[in-house]
Amino acid sequence: MAENAIVAEDLTCWFGDLVAVDHINFSVAKGEILGFLGPNGAGKTTTVKMLTGQLKPKEGKALLLGMDVASNIERVQAKIGVCFEETNLYQRMSALENLSLFASLFGVKDFDAYALLKRVGLDGREKDRVENYSKGMKQRLMVARSLVSSPEILFLDEPTSGLDPTSSEAIRNIILEERQRGATIFLTTHDMLEADKLSDRVAFMNQGKIVALDAPDNLKQQYGRRALKARVSDTDGKLQSREIDLDTPKTAEAVQNLFKEEKVVTIHSEEATLEDIFIKITGRGLTE
Amino acid sequence: MNFGVIRALVDKDIRLFFRNRFYAVVTAIALVFYLIIYFVMPPAVSETLEVGLYAPVLPPAFESIQTAEGLDFIEFESDESLKQAVTDGQYDSGISLPDDIMEKFTAGEKPQVTLYFSAAAAVEIKDTIEVMIRELAYQETGQPLAIDVSYNILETDLIGEQIPPRDRLRLMLVIALIVFEMMGLASLIVEEVEQGTIRALLVTPMSVRDLFAAKLIMGTGLAFAQGLLFMSIVGGLSTQPLLIITALFLGSILFTGTGFLIASVATDMMSSMGWGIIAILVYTIPAFGIMFPGTITGWAKFIPSYYLADTIHKASNFNSGWGDNWSNLLIMLGFIALVVLLGIMALRRKFR
Repeated sequence: MAENAIVAEDLTCWFGDLVAVDHINFSVAKGEILGFLGPNGAGKTTTVKMLTGQLKPKEGKALLLGMDVASNIERVQAKIGVCFEETNLYQRMSALENLSLFASLFGVKDFDAYALLKRVGLDGREKDRVENYSKGMKQRLMVARSLVSSPEILFLDEPTSGLDPTSSEAIRNIILEERQRGATIFLTTHDMLEADKLSDRVAFMNQGKIVALDAPDNLKQQYGRRALKARVSDTDGKLQSREIDLDTPKTAEAVQNLFKEEKVVTIHSEEATLEDIFIKITGRGLTE
Repeated sequence: MNFGVIRALVDKDIRLFFRNRFYAVVTAIALVFYLIIYFVMPPAVSETLEVGLYAPVLPPAFESIQTAEGLDFIEFESDESLKQAVTDGQYDSGISLPDDIMEKFTAGEKPQVTLYFSAAAAVEIKDTIEVMIRELAYQETGQPLAIDVSYNILETDLIGEQIPPRDRLRLMLVIALIVFEMMGLASLIVEEVEQGTIRALLVTPMSVRDLFAAKLIMGTGLAFAQGLLFMSIVGGLSTQPLLIITALFLGSILFTGTGFLIASVATDMMSSMGWGIIAILVYTIPAFGIMFPGTITGWAKFIPSYYLADTIHKASNFNSGWGDNWSNLLIMLGFIALVVLLGIMALRRKFR
């Protein structure tokens, strides 16, 4: 059995009458990418805050690399990197100065800021003040900052939110490289495709509880409807849609009949998306 | 404490402070402006009162006033020229004795002595000269006062050593200079909270203790360095330098602690400036009271900066030493412990 990097045991937090996180239990294996999904207000941020030592759980505990976060904050924080959703860089400092500061805070010796900035595509702009960067550049710098200490666990909160496709792709590649290095990645995102593409498993959070946790393919299999979708041409040359359910005893016959009786132009399988599954489980969309 | 971390944080804060154009420029301008104010003010106090005198005949009793301490009589050729000099503001007061003063004394009649005063002359000067003339007249007519007067100056005798206005103002300037940095520090902290950089710091292995130590060093260092530079340039360290430096250092810590408190209640940059201005006004009251004696009373002792102002004033202007000021320093330490502790507690809460 793989060793766990993150373990949440009955993790609970409330603010007044509002229970933000309600006795959640999950674990993330070392080297795994976990996509953490849920609508705004589901309790994702509170969970991340408890896992990273920014907030003490009211009940339960969080273990990172076998250490209780609440009682080993500094030791745990030495092993993690956090990339926040909102840009929180020192704007009047350069990228180089930002990274060097955090390298000092982590006690990283022989830190090569230039190499890291090159890795995130900011070479040539190292000495520019961050206030002069575009949103994409700032986001890449945020990711670079979270990598300063080569963390064992990386928390990424919406790392590609609002970015152009090139910047998003660059960040996705870095995430995969980090996994390759052996880092465990806790990825909070609204982007279903991104979660599907990158995550080994995804967790759906809704109203403070984890309502589903599994590999994307397993969830699709468990909750999704499999179907074949075809475009056929009628006698007048007009295109029509046909759909065949793949999970009925008559599927084979229906496919045969389709090819016998119709002029098939295109045919492809249709899988449920993570968004569909989330709606099916919770009755609400991820962006609500 | 991790000194490497503290050094990195202080270095970061210094960069950010001087890259904030507003605070960098205001700090530089304030220093230069205060130095200019100091040096354009008169460097000495004239302790001699110049009085115009027209005396065609000087009665023997009146001759003694020409050697009186603190009075300098300027003689005029005519009553008219004396009157004109006082009218022109050359002198605040003038005494015009009549031609027949001796004859009148001899005849037992009252000679008509005319006193001239400019509109700006203080009431005290008018009264003093009038009393002096009456007294001289009594002496001249053989009726001296039947008492002997002795005078004793309690505390420091400042005769011949009056504190020039600019040296009184020096205290006000140095306190205003270092207290301003309190606002700069508070704004830096508020900016960290507003921009979320504090969250980024708090997920590193850096301890909150290191963070506060760095802020304390940065705030104190910035205020202290400016205070020290100013006092060195204006000659404020020529007496009791070690005591003054200690007081400045303690004052800088006090203002840094107040900066923490301001940052904990301020919601944004504007509110930190608003709270900062209120704190500056309160903290400069004791220095104002020293500049203008009599304008404040005992309640000023509840203002922590009173003990800083009092120590610097006494040490720099009266050469008063550690023995006279230890209680001030002790009280200041008490205020520092209270303000810094409250500031750290309030900020910790805000960071969470």
